[in-house]
Amino acid sequence: MSPPGDARAPSPQEPLLRTEGLTRHFALGGLFSRKVLHAVDDLDLTIGEREIVALVGESGSGKSTVARLLARLYKPTRGEIYYRGRSVAGLRSRKDLLWYRGEVPIVLQDPFSAFHPVFRISHGIMRNLALHRPELDREARRREAERVCEAVGLSPRMLTRFSYEMSGGERQRIGFAQALAVRPKLILADEPVSMLDVSIRAGVLNMMASLRDREGVSLLYITHDLASARYVADRIVVMYAGHEVESGPTETVLSEPKHPYTQLLLSAVADPREKDAELSADTGEPPRVVNPSEGCRFRARCPLAIETCARVTPRPEPIGASRVACHVALARARGEEGLPSEAPGASASRGTGSSPTPDTATVTE
Amino acid sequence: MTEPLLDVRDLSVDYLTEAGDVHVLSGVSFAVAEREFVGIVGESGCGKSTLLFAVAQLLSPPGEIVSGEVVFRGGDMVGLRGGELRHMRWRDYSMVMQSAMNALNPMNSIGAQFADAMEAHGERSRERIRARSREVLELVGIDAVHLGSYPHQLSGGMRQRAMIAMALLFTPQLVIMDEPTSALDVVAQQSLMTKIRELQRRLGFAVLFVTHDMSVVSRYSDRVIVMYAGQIAEAAATETIFERPLHPYTRGLMNAFPSVRGPRREMAGIPGAPPDLAHPPGGCRFHPRCPEVMDICPTREPALYERDGARVRCLLYEERAAVGARAEAPRSGAAQADAAQADAAQADVTVDAAVDAAQADAAQEARP
Repeated sequence: MSPPGDARAPSPQEPLLRTEGLTRHFALGGLFSRKVLHAVDDLDLTIGEREIVALVGESGSGKSTVARLLARLYKPTRGEIYYRGRSVAGLRSRKDLLWYRGEVPIVLQDPFSAFHPVFRISHGIMRNLALHRPELDREARRREAERVCEAVGLSPRMLTRFSYEMSGGERQRIGFAQALAVRPKLILADEPVSMLDVSIRAGVLNMMASLRDREGVSLLYITHDLASARYVADRIVVMYAGHEVESGPTETVLSEPKHPYTQLLLSAVADPREKDAELSADTGEPPRVVNPSEGCRFRARCPLAIETCARVTPRPEPIGASRVACHVALARARGEEGLPSEAPGASASRGTGSSPTPDTATVTE
Repeated sequence: MTEPLLDVRDLSVDYLTEAGDVHVLSGVSFAVAEREFVGIVGESGCGKSTLLFAVAQLLSPPGEIVSGEVVFRGGDMVGLRGGELRHMRWRDYSMVMQSAMNALNPMNSIGAQFADAMEAHGERSRERIRARSREVLELVGIDAVHLGSYPHQLSGGMRQRAMIAMALLFTPQLVIMDEPTSALDVVAQQSLMTKIRELQRRLGFAVLFVTHDMSVVSRYSDRVIVMYAGQIAEAAATETIFERPLHPYTRGLMNAFPSVRGPRREMAGIPGAPPDLAHPPGGCRFHPRCPEVMDICPTREPALYERDGARVRCLLYEERAAVGARAEAPRSGAAQADAAQADAAQADVTVDAAVDAAQADAAQEARP
């Protein structure tokens, strides 16, 4: 479906999708509870044409919430999403919504629960075609279903199968075929390979890259796996506790990580082909994002934390080709001298060894 | 080294279903020495978890050990009664389950659950129970105040640590772990595995550990067993298997996951899907997916062949098969290695040297 109206014509500098201060909070507890979980805070994300952006983070970092916000499954608490320069929150009519959902479909994590067991695999693809591309007649729909099936590396004969007759990798490919049937510009893929076996993963990742190269779609690839992000993504955005901590071109971020959290994540990945990075003593306690106070959310685990980190929330600022949200990294990049590489407070808290830091020791109130 | 701590001999397990018997494990043999860290890797459905359950004597219907022995400290455990096993569990060997973080009872404090396990083994003194509980919890790096905490008050990583602490209450000689870290984030996973490794070295227990994650195995285990479709495909020391994988399946696995460091490489994956164990393919079970399949593979079942300190279930390493392979154009490193092997077969002595050389070449090619 082509975008109706001139308002949707993208301006030359406008990226495909852009968010401004995207924020999503969830109220926890009962009616009078004041607990608010900050899943995503002030995220400025851009995705260009024909670009694979990997959103990397651990559980609780807010990465899946971002996918759901972009798919309009959640409404943002604050902030805006602009798709081709047009505010997504402003889409109201059925026609507009259908258009947006056709341009930006989502592929979910679990291919084992994403398909109706009573219908053949072709059902979802055919329905998408009938709904989003009413101009096609029955014969054209069938041809198109076969084409998308081939585009994801499956034989068109698969279309007559039921989901339980297919392996996980095949189902996940069908998930992509369904998305592809609506002629999307941007596919939101939420951990699409995490449930698949290693021998199957490579195939799905290669298929994602070929969708970009051959079909010209962009992808938001949400993952906790830095290695697979490196394999397919053009750009990486690292999230921690709802904040963007570092972003930039994939190789820049991974070869010269500037944020201490990115460095920690990288050091934790074992790699049999390469000598391991030095192991850190961090125990990987998840961040607490219920009613967080001002300041950097990583500071309790951070080896570089300085006094400023507890007072001022760092915003992502450019360093070279990357953007980094870290007071210390920024100060270093600007060549300021006289900053202690390790504040006394930080080293004292690390001195307690592996016992939990004060922040994480407080059990959920 | 005299007798191994655990000796699994020709173990076969069937799942008896209405649709017929599914042979989940067929003739699995391996040994774990004292203080050894053995990793078992494989994809879902390859029987790796069933293997652990069979070793720990925890199989329940429809699973059944149809043949084989599990010799632990000189005695066969297969066929032992509940009472006899109950005495050994926790005390001599313990098990940490997959997603163990959900295996704790949400209604009881951590301390109460530790006390339960100790009381079940005849410990009556509250004092000693308390002291030991504090001790093991601190061993895994959790503050002892958490003995009074309930599972929901701890993070996933801490719960997993608490489960491991519980497995160490009696300092068993063998700790069996089924994907202990797969539900955790990378940083927590690395920290926990490092902890397990450190405790294993300090306290001197052996670990038998199952995972689907090749990188975790590479970093922590002494020896690796690669399983495919209910059989051992390849078993060797960790460095050996990562430097020189012999089985085409192992090689495929090595090329199926991306690197976060070093040069960026194209990954191939392994086409197809693991077989249905109710109807496994004839001959070699990997042949429908194998890039180096030969004419005889669909009909001839490979045994486990000894080669350079590794055990590998592939006809490429059977002398007779190797001669057949020479007829084919040697495209891959393995075929080359085989051709070399076949050539050298006449001059028996140089076989290994020639294979080594060819494989070293192949390894070089693989690493651009």
